[in-house]
Amino acid sequence: MRAYQVIRFLIAALAVAGLALVGTGLTRLPARPPQPDGATAPHRTVPAPHLSPLPRAAPVEVRIPAVGISAPLISVAADAAGALEVPPLDRPGVAGWYRPGVSPGETGNAVLVGHVDSPGGPAVFFHLGRLRPGDTIEIVRTDARMVRFAVHDVEAYPKDRFPTDLVYGPGDAAGLRLITCGGRFDRGTGEYVDNVIVFATRAA
Amino acid sequence: MKARRVLIPAAGGIALGALLLPGTALADTTVSPSTTPVGGTVVLTATGCNPKSGDAIFRVTGPDRDQNVRSTTAAAGGGLSAELFTAGFTLGTYTVSATCGDGTADGSATFTVTPIGGAEAGGRDDDGAGTLATGATLLATALGGAVILARRRRHAVTAATH
Repeated sequence: MRAYQVIRFLIAALAVAGLALVGTGLTRLPARPPQPDGATAPHRTVPAPHLSPLPRAAPVEVRIPAVGISAPLISVAADAAGALEVPPLDRPGVAGWYRPGVSPGETGNAVLVGHVDSPGGPAVFFHLGRLRPGDTIEIVRTDARMVRFAVHDVEAYPKDRFPTDLVYGPGDAAGLRLITCGGRFDRGTGEYVDNVIVFATRAA
Repeated sequence: MKARRVLIPAAGGIALGALLLPGTALADTTVSPSTTPVGGTVVLTATGCNPKSGDAIFRVTGPDRDQNVRSTTAAAGGGLSAELFTAGFTLGTYTVSATCGDGTADGSATFTVTPIGGAEAGGRDDDGAGTLATGATLLATALGGAVILARRRRHAVTAATH
């Protein structure tokens, strides 16, 4: 009779532990980041308004009212393997400005990068995929100027087909590129398979 | 009318002069591709240089670099070209200025050295699926144990009543 009680206790303990783990697992399942509508659409180019290019000045803050982003910026470059650096994961609310490129407002494409999520949940660029053409991006620079950009494209690209030229390539006007991760999460590599890229042109 | 007679020969003379001066009207330097991930190779071409005048020299200047590259081949479309391997280059934009073998300048072009590939901008380390699977396994084990236990008890009760 005593053995029966012990087994019954063990079964109850297993059930309680199982229920607890299932509950924890369900709460930890992260929301999938929003994906751009035009994921397969070809990249579009838009005529830029005639604005005088600004001198170089580091950006310090990015604001995107349409998706509630307001984040400080730090400088990033490339790691030892030549890949684009990203801000440290222990600061998921911070975005990075690609320092070797132009600054926002100069002629050419300025590049910002931010995490889509972190071990703690969504990160600074989680909602980037929700942006639509016409949405506004504001960049505050160290020279106290605020540069406004208008989104004209939001697209997802497989990381192994990253559009280097569209992102870092030269341009006749002041452009802005925002990069984060997206698409399917590959548990094997622990990485998302795509990059979501927002293309914007200076509007004011 | 008189003015036109003077202007037309003058314009013709300027055009002829430009054609006869290599490295001015025909001067052109190209870099292909204009954007390369660090470690990639770009082809520098001085289209206005005559291979018979000797090698062209490409001066490459950029964030922390000032080097000369000598042309190695005659370009298919005319002029002279060289390959430039960008391993170890600092990221950024570089200017290439070409000088033909006869000393004439052949213009300039730029190219950009970029990071390799996309950005690893996802940071989650556990998507909860592992925890969920472990919990489900424990629950299934408990359920199986409960079923076995109930059957045994039923058998014991049946045996006792017979």
